[in-house]
Amino acid sequence: MIPKPSTIKRHLEAIITGLKYIFVKNRLTLRYPEMVQLLSENYRGMIKYYMDRCISCTLCARICPADAIKMYTVGENKLPGINYMRCIFCGFCVDICPKEALEFTNIHDLAYYTREEQIQKPIEFSKGPPKPIFKKEPMKIVVKLDKSRGLKYERT
Amino acid sequence: MSEDKFMQVLIGPQHPGSGHMRFIVKMDGDIISEFEPDIGYVHRAVEKIAESKRYIQIVPLVERPILADTANINLGYILALERLLGIDAPPRAQYLRTLLAEINRIHSHLYGLGIHGIMIGSSTIFMWCFADREIWIELAQELTGARITYSYMIPGGVRRDLPNGFNEKLSKAIAYMEERLKDYEKIFINNPVVTARLIDVGIIKKDDAIKLGIVGPNLRASGVAYDVRKIEPYCAYPEIDFDIIVRKEGDAYSRVLVRFEEIKQSMKIVKQVVEKIPSGPIINESYLKLIPPKLREKAEQTGIWKMPAIFINLKPRKGEAISRVEAGRGEVTHYIVSDGSPNPYRFRVVTPSFRNLIAFKYTMPGHRLADIPAIYGSLDYFPPSADR
Amino acid sequence: MISLDQIIRLIFFPPIFITIVFPGLIALLIVIVFLIWLERKIAAKVQLRYGPLYILKPLGGVIQTVADLLRYLFAEVIIPRRADKFSFIMAPILSFGFAFIPIVALPISSKYFAFKSDLSLLVVLALLTIAPIFILIIGWASDNKFSFIGSLREGYMIMAYEVPLFLSVLAMAILYNTLDIIEIVETQSKWVWGILLNPIAAFVFLICTFMMTARFPFEISEAEQEIVMGPFTEYTGIIFGLCMSYSYIKLYILSLLFAYLFLGGWYPIVWPFTLNPIMPGIITLIKGLIVMIIGIFLRSVYPRFRVDQTLRIGWEGMFVLSIVALILSFSLVILVK
Repeated sequence: MIPKPSTIKRHLEAIITGLKYIFVKNRLTLRYPEMVQLLSENYRGMIKYYMDRCISCTLCARICPADAIKMYTVGENKLPGINYMRCIFCGFCVDICPKEALEFTNIHDLAYYTREEQIQKPIEFSKGPPKPIFKKEPMKIVVKLDKSRGLKYERT
Repeated sequence: MSEDKFMQVLIGPQHPGSGHMRFIVKMDGDIISEFEPDIGYVHRAVEKIAESKRYIQIVPLVERPILADTANINLGYILALERLLGIDAPPRAQYLRTLLAEINRIHSHLYGLGIHGIMIGSSTIFMWCFADREIWIELAQELTGARITYSYMIPGGVRRDLPNGFNEKLSKAIAYMEERLKDYEKIFINNPVVTARLIDVGIIKKDDAIKLGIVGPNLRASGVAYDVRKIEPYCAYPEIDFDIIVRKEGDAYSRVLVRFEEIKQSMKIVKQVVEKIPSGPIINESYLKLIPPKLREKAEQTGIWKMPAIFINLKPRKGEAISRVEAGRGEVTHYIVSDGSPNPYRFRVVTPSFRNLIAFKYTMPGHRLADIPAIYGSLDYFPPSADR
Repeated sequence: MISLDQIIRLIFFPPIFITIVFPGLIALLIVIVFLIWLERKIAAKVQLRYGPLYILKPLGGVIQTVADLLRYLFAEVIIPRRADKFSFIMAPILSFGFAFIPIVALPISSKYFAFKSDLSLLVVLALLTIAPIFILIIGWASDNKFSFIGSLREGYMIMAYEVPLFLSVLAMAILYNTLDIIEIVETQSKWVWGILLNPIAAFVFLICTFMMTARFPFEISEAEQEIVMGPFTEYTGIIFGLCMSYSYIKLYILSLLFAYLFLGGWYPIVWPFTLNPIMPGIITLIKGLIVMIIGIFLRSVYPRFRVDQTLRIGWEGMFVLSIVALILSFSLVILVK
């Protein structure tokens, strides 16, 4: 079995490409707890609820495909609460709200200590998503697309 | 030949190379004599659940089986639903749908290529594909607001308009990707070990491919120039110039090459889409006027459109509708039967993986045990999508 | 009372120094820890990642392997109910042991060795070939189909690499006219390095080393996507750690052997360190490390071959090349005479 010259060339090409990348200074890893991507404004993250704008139309609860939003009786009104264990972040509730009482935020670090915390009744829901807790203040970065490096992480 | 000569090997579902399914393999030494894929491990009854959901609520639901290719399967469902409702999306929305579908096709193919790479042992191509997939996911996120589960298409249009500066980002991504694909060729496509592993392995002949009903890149690799985008064009595809990639060999390597070339074709399509995209509304007139004028004004500025309240109570006419879409892995068929109520009477989706599954049974026998991952990866099979 | 002087003399007593310090246990452990880390780091660099990073961050996670080892140490050792308990436990320990024994026959310099033998090269190779037998026993004892297939693959691999490896060594032995490692190195110091004398033999030896130690593209007996973990599928805890390091020990020994056979061993020695075992040891280790790094780098370039293709490479490629190497050696010897 004598390898063809083209095979040897292809072996060499593969090895040289591998070697080249040892010296390329590019890493696409985002070291998450240390670096946090600042998501764009139109990201469909956790949902913020403005209780004063709400007209109790129940549209959000009715469109929710995952039964995450439920109406609760608060005083005389019926107001929505959310169950983040079920939420799939489709954002239909935000899009169908006729009074803009629901709004997207760009927070997606969805982690809670207890199960109960994730079922948010209207009052907790209206407080908005909690600020994610990090052990050390993370480096905030934005992702930029780049011609030579693909993704570039820039500090804000 | 006594029965003792054979050894039955059960590969999966808890196996690094099986995915969410089990293969019942009968081995004659190192040669596979019988191969039985045992599906259903991740069956989630999507079709049955859909019968209890309203039409708009099915949009996120149909995405769940094919998480790597959500835009295309979603598009198929919306096309079928629009046929039932008797409405159409405006031209700009059609282009935006095409744009997302092609971005999704690119990252779906990268996903397939990467998984295939790790299955035959090349961790580098796996990491590269998944790293570069991130670029396309980032673009899609810019457009839709979500990374994977876009739920971008709605009956009569799309949810969001092109954001500012999208074209510039897209051209950067394409320029980067075109450079990178050259390195992909050197380290994976032309790698002598890869060619030794994949050439003449898992051959599906042209006649067999047609007989078995294989779809998508796997069919095109067997020499059949069949692409729903050309044969039954939808969205903006009739106005866009692209080629169907066909190869004659029908082996695992040609399937890899078809996917690889289709990434380039998809980038060509995406380029044309952003050039040719017409201006105008992105939601059908009849729904547009149902949105409160105050919100409409705001949406025109931000590009993020609201849904009209009627979406909760979409009641299509009594009847049935079918749609075909070319997804990354092949043709997706959606079939909806409506009885005039807000829930579908029956919903059925035939996913490409379900149709490609049969190829396992007929291509595997005669090959070696080590060829199972090589052929499995080349078919770009995705168990959740077949099980639904 | 044992004085400090006596302790130092005891440590530097060649049979003890060679087995315990270098190239024995301590050097081996450090090299394995470093090598596994470097393997992951190089692969990460090629794949645009960071690799091990968080354990001892200033040094880029260099003691990641130590952490992994500790984890293996504290993990429960599970013995499958249907396994043959005695062989199941003993086989990896013995394979580890037999892979380690050849170290005693490796000299550090011409005046510093555990024992001198006319056949030390043969002793190393013969002991290295014992270890794979225990892999076959593992496959039988585990009572798992993947272990069984994996160990059979290992058996096939022996067929592929052993004959060309021995023939390439034979080619060098003919060239140097001895089977004693010390004399081989001494001969090279007078002439030129073996790799220049017979590059074909060096190439065959290198490829067979990668086959023997399950490096990519010959990582066949442990092919994860095909047969889970090959022979070691059923192992857990520290015994799995032994299995993992088994192939690295072989890589270590064969790389040192490559340094002795083809790269001039411990030469060049600078004058004041002639008697000291440290300087020659370091030179040998560096040469060996270069070979090892080539081996671990290939992981990030190649996928793996099939077992039949490897056998074909072994018999149709490496075997033929090793014959050519033999002929080259003969003709060189005749030419010189």
